[in-house]
Amino acid sequence: MTIDVKKQKIIVMPCSGIGKVHGLIAREATYAVTDELAPDSFEPMCLALLVSGDEEALAKIKKMDCITVDGCPKLCAAKNVEMAGGKIVRSIRVVDAFKNYRGAEPGTATKLADDGWTIVSEIAGGICNKREGEVS
Amino acid sequence: MKRAVLSCNGMDKQFGSLARELALKLSETQGTEIICPVLLNNSPDRYEKTLAESSLLVVDGCPTRCASKLANKLGLKVDDKVLISEEAKTTGLEVGKSLRLGPVGMQLIELLSKECLVSRQISVEEASAGFDSPVDFITVTHDKFIFKIPSHDYLFSENDCWVRVIGNRARIGVSDFVQQNLTDITYFEPAEVGREIEQFDEVGSLESGKSMMDALSPVSGKIVAVNTELVDSPELVNEDPYGRGWIAEVELDDFESDKEVLLDAAAYSRIVEKKAAEAN
Ligand code: SF4
Repeated sequence: MTIDVKKQKIIVMPCSGIGKVHGLIAREATYAVTDELAPDSFEPMCLALLVSGDEEALAKIKKMDCITVDGCPKLCAAKNVEMAGGKIVRSIRVVDAFKNYRGAEPGTATKLADDGWTIVSEIAGGICNKREGEVS
Repeated sequence: MKRAVLSCNGMDKQFGSLARELALKLSETQGTEIICPVLLNNSPDRYEKTLAESSLLVVDGCPTRCASKLANKLGLKVDDKVLISEEAKTTGLEVGKSLRLGPVGMQLIELLSKECLVSRQISVEEASAGFDSPVDFITVTHDKFIFKIPSHDYLFSENDCWVRVIGNRARIGVSDFVQQNLTDITYFEPAEVGREIEQFDEVGSLESGKSMMDALSPVSGKIVAVNTELVDSPELVNEDPYGRGWIAEVELDDFESDKEVLLDAAAYSRIVEKKAAEAN
């Protein structure tokens, strides 16, 4: 993977998704990207920090591009980033990724099963490829 | 009273991740309802009923205290607060930099969830007013042993568990015969709060140097509380099996039909007599 590290980082913002397996997938996909696959290109941000009106977070979101990863169609992450005046370059919905995995057993809100980790990898890979496509 | 927890969703800070882990742990082990901070901010109506019926615990990851700020902004009444970064300092546990839950993080969550149990214990006690220890007993004597059986208010199963009902709520425990047979109880494992159970499903287990026993619920319903005091003090079952040594509380499903196979004190005393004789 060739990533142009001179470019400004992109924020990856998953929904809070607490207590739901879709939310856990959004969170794990974010960690996979920001911790393992491309920490030089992407960074995470707490959605609660933004929602609670933290000025630094608000300023940051206005300056940087953002990829939102929402568990369900309520789109909490996308809506809040938009409300904060952020620029969303891509909005991902975990439910959509499930369409390719009919009958998948993803695990629970606290522990992903193999199918859940497969979906995490697909979402994370998709985020990184997008950036790769953008720079190459 | 029910409990709800509002935690921050800390994404880029390890203490924030731990705040979320604590909320999940409390919901899994104690049936505490989770309030999502973002959904709460977007649609406060969604949680109106929960907030009206529950005592609220707010869990923040770091000193930015996002969850507390949100609670403040929405004018919520906060009954209890936890700040994970402070707690980590107090316990001296080094959770490291990883955003995922590691063994030390897990240890901290384990510790904190037990502390949060203490406040739950108070609310359980309040909610369960009326379940005081019995005063009148009938006794079964066998050799040097005397087994006590409360003469009123308690029903028993043949497998030596008791149930006491107030309204739609039942408290469950094991009989004096069990505790004497087990001798000194050293370990208690509670059942999971929130689980739906059938009559004679397990609601906790007890262990002594001598043997181990699963407590089987004489009634069907939903487990709404467990006696967390027993986790640290299992000996309460030996000291007061019909009172402070209770094991679980269940919201009743169909007590009328459960009752058909349960025994009153007199009938249970005959079972104890028989079992005591067989034991020798
Ligand atoms: S309290 Fe700290 S860890 Fe939690 S959401 Fe806010 S900034 Fe993130």
